[in-house]
Amino acid sequence: MNSKQQRPLKKLLGIRGMGAALTAFVGLIIIYIAFGIINPAVFSGQNMLNLLRSMSKYLLIGIAQSYVLITGNIDLSIGSMVGMSAMIAATLMTTGMAPFLAIVIALIACLVVGVVNGYLVGKFKLPPFIATLGTMFVARGIAYMVNGNRNTDAIATGVGKETADAFQNCFYYGKTLGIYNTFWIALVIFVIFFFILSKTRTGRHIYAIGSNVDAAKLSGVNVVSTTVKTYLVSSVCSCVVGLILCAQAGMGNMEAGNMYEMYGVAAGVIGGVSPLGGTGILLGTFAGAAVWQTLENGLNMIGAQVGIQRVVIGVIVVAAVLLDVVVRNGQFGKHRKK
Amino acid sequence: MNEVIVSMNNISKSFPGVKALDHVKFELRSGEVMALLGENGAGKSTLMKILSGVYTRDEGTMEIFGKSYDDLTPKQAQEAGVAIIHQELNMCRHLTVTENMFLGREVKGGLSLNNAKMRKEAKKVLDDLRIDISPDQIVGDLPVSKQQMVEIAKALSINARILIMDEPTSSLTAKEIDDLFRIIRKLRDEGRGIVYISHRLEELSHIVDRVTIMRDGQYITDGNFKDMDMDYIIKNMVGREIKEKFPRVECKKGKKIFEVKNLNAGKMVRDINFSLYEGEIVGFAGLMGAGRTETTRAIFGVDPKDSGELYVDGKKIEVNCPMDAIRNGVVLAPEDRKKDGLCTKLSIRQNLALPNLDLVCNKMGVINSGKEDALCEKAVKDLRIKTPNVEIDSGNLSGGNQQKVVVGKWLARDSRVVIFDEPTRGIDVGAKVEIYNLMNELKKQGIAVMFVSSEMPEVMGIADRIIVMCDGRITGEVSAREATQDEILTMATSFENKSIKETEGGSKNE
Repeated sequence: MNSKQQRPLKKLLGIRGMGAALTAFVGLIIIYIAFGIINPAVFSGQNMLNLLRSMSKYLLIGIAQSYVLITGNIDLSIGSMVGMSAMIAATLMTTGMAPFLAIVIALIACLVVGVVNGYLVGKFKLPPFIATLGTMFVARGIAYMVNGNRNTDAIATGVGKETADAFQNCFYYGKTLGIYNTFWIALVIFVIFFFILSKTRTGRHIYAIGSNVDAAKLSGVNVVSTTVKTYLVSSVCSCVVGLILCAQAGMGNMEAGNMYEMYGVAAGVIGGVSPLGGTGILLGTFAGAAVWQTLENGLNMIGAQVGIQRVVIGVIVVAAVLLDVVVRNGQFGKHRKK
Repeated sequence: MNEVIVSMNNISKSFPGVKALDHVKFELRSGEVMALLGENGAGKSTLMKILSGVYTRDEGTMEIFGKSYDDLTPKQAQEAGVAIIHQELNMCRHLTVTENMFLGREVKGGLSLNNAKMRKEAKKVLDDLRIDISPDQIVGDLPVSKQQMVEIAKALSINARILIMDEPTSSLTAKEIDDLFRIIRKLRDEGRGIVYISHRLEELSHIVDRVTIMRDGQYITDGNFKDMDMDYIIKNMVGREIKEKFPRVECKKGKKIFEVKNLNAGKMVRDINFSLYEGEIVGFAGLMGAGRTETTRAIFGVDPKDSGELYVDGKKIEVNCPMDAIRNGVVLAPEDRKKDGLCTKLSIRQNLALPNLDLVCNKMGVINSGKEDALCEKAVKDLRIKTPNVEIDSGNLSGGNQQKVVVGKWLARDSRVVIFDEPTRGIDVGAKVEIYNLMNELKKQGIAVMFVSSEMPEVMGIADRIIVMCDGRITGEVSAREATQDEILTMATSFENKSIKETEGGSKNE
């Protein structure tokens, strides 16, 4: 209508990475409506609530992986950290330790893995694929070891039913303002990390490293500390997902979070985060996580079998990136005129 | 002999939103070196990419050796005898010279490759060119100049009769350039046609027979080089007259600002001592690989130092990483802008702000976008960076504007010492003068300027004092006004323990 209203909108659309993020959101809406037409139960209130709750996990690991991907690295240890956090928290709670303390210890364990990842990659220049492959095995091994190579008993056996319920409600079953707490937790974490990535110096440094590490270094960016920070973000998010899974099951499962690092890559990539580094925004990751969960949920609701689900999801991931490549090649041609 | 071998007429090419070529004509004859001149973005590269089959044209006709081509693929162009030697060399760094020369057309002997045959052929081509390189060497281990020779050899081994060279001398030293020119002359005398793209107008007189000038995607003029003078060429390239190629401002030499004492860092930085004063630009001359870039990197804290002390305004500073240097007011605009200077995937804004985030952030590290906008706007305005807005990918800018961004990000803060490492490499005449003016501006503000350059005329034209390096050591210091090129070259080639009499750089400038 008037220029004052248009300008912020134009500015918003001008944000780099916004295009891919919006494309993912549009895709999300199309997918959602398509499933809803096949099975109207998809539109039901309860299903939407479930959807928000289960996408929260993917959102968190998506944030974890996106931070690392934007620096041009990768974190394969995410799933193992999820399992480790779930197992440590559950094991400690079955011994009767207060949930809060158990959570802190699980968090510390994840942060240690993150620091190791960060130093191996940032300081010792190990290929991130190899470094985090190592910590992936180690963290999963620890998840096995903490309770002597078996899943834990119900946490209620240690801390009592009341405390166990409080813990489970806090992370999974409880609602605030009509929406599951899981989603609120993920949303708060999302907002914090969205802010850090887009509005702070650390965020800028993360993009700079992903775009050109030499230039970043010569501009005074501390590459080691910034790399460590991204892996720590990954640790924090993974730890929270571990706690969510622990709360959901009411116990610790050694295989919790298996393959989650790859789901994280998928969520990021669908939302326009480039695995080559330097590009992508967390809003895209949000959309990517939602697309991922909607697909899973929708395919379930229309009665597709697991095999088909996997195939569809695989195709979508590749198609999203292919689209991105095609679009970018168009731009690339333009850019080569000079 | 001089028959027309390439004839392009009315060539047009548009990219989304831009008309890159507008009815351009171009003609190349056998046995000549044709200089294709124009500023960055004039369309030279686009035209040559059409000739070599990388791009297809929108309209126009093209004949190569009398045969007219519609749409040319790179492979067809190669078969027609067109070879292009890019500014950024296209070599597989981990493979040997032979493997690179035969890449994609390996000679088979039975089931396996016939390595002996390929090696022999590679050696023959290299020997023909009198290039002293073993065919078994790993390309990545060779200096850039030699890699370029390998690329030329590769072109010849597929019998290229039209060679396009894009800025071939931009990273070579005087001696290497002489070698290259010798080879180019030989190829010309064999009847090949050579298209020579260069921003270094000084060297044209040594090599060029004819000239085609382009500007803003249009053909401007062509003719024999002998019939043109330099002012005429520049005027046609830039579209306006450039009064002074090397503007110099006079300042009074003031107090000492920066001092380097006994700096050692590896083999290429040995016992470096020098000082920079207020109101002067100090040029660092020398051959490629003389240790100048390494010296700047050691000062800036990128590479570790073995020993040495740095003083700013008489105060000793500790520099262990670039951030230390920046905090103490010492900044470096590095040599290789694509590799070290720019985050090409990020916007101009993000690049300009990157080293200055401490100025636009609050204590919590949150960016104040108002302050950032102001900083970027000022930089774009001061440096006259040509761009619609600051959100454009910096990688999409022309070379000259990219360089301005690299320089610009360091001028936003109050520095005491600004180090420029080859700031004018590969950028056009107009942009060069702007960079010189910028250095002069700093000089007037009392900021110490260290200016590393391999182009002798510009060091002598812009700097007040010249420090010459060779083999990691400072081998001499002269006043720019009194020095002669020969004098500097002698210092630049005074290697330790071996008093080789180097042949002079060949280029004679007034």
